[in-house]
Amino acid sequence: MDIGAPDTEHEIEIAPLDEPVPAPAPAPAKEPAQEPIPA
Amino acid sequence: MSSSAFLTEPIVAWRLWHVRRHDDVHRLESFTWHHVSWPAGTRFEAECSTHGVAAPVEGHECGIYAFKTRELAEDLLRRYTGVRQHYGRPNQELPPLRQGCPIAIGRVSLWGRILARENGFRAQYAYPYELFLIGGEDTLARELRGLYAVDVWPS
Repeated sequence: MDIGAPDTEHEIEIAPLDEPVPAPAPAPAKEPAQEPIPA
Repeated sequence: MSSSAFLTEPIVAWRLWHVRRHDDVHRLESFTWHHVSWPAGTRFEAECSTHGVAAPVEGHECGIYAFKTRELAEDLLRRYTGVRQHYGRPNQELPPLRQGCPIAIGRVSLWGRILARENGFRAQYAYPYELFLIGGEDTLARELRGLYAVDVWPS
């Protein structure tokens, strides 16, 4: 991948407060085995 | 190199991936280094056969590559598929791909130590930010969306 001439290179240090890695989507909720019985 | 800039916001750049099946799931795979798959749910870390996890290193070519613009990533795709631009008439259409060999073009978050050049970056850490499939349908987009937890747009 040609990203340009090496002599144009300069260093950047990035330390994010939170890493930009999203949490996986929650698994779909399971249906209750039985209908909840009202108290 | 005389000094470094210190930032807290990741750089968002552009790159290409192959999309290939590993065992039972499709994964993103590095475009120029075949069979290097990108992990889901955790950062991808640069590693160099010479410098190990110290990559990227100044004066070397190691690190995770990304372009500054989508156009530069599309140029690489055209070169990869062998479609040349006509002199004076740039071909803006992306070329058709081989059946069953989808490619993702997309944005990627970069952080850690980054070496920036005029057209792009070599980074220490990366994670996909948003993907556009080329040669991939809804089913594949859903699978990648579920795996990497980022937006994925089908062809």
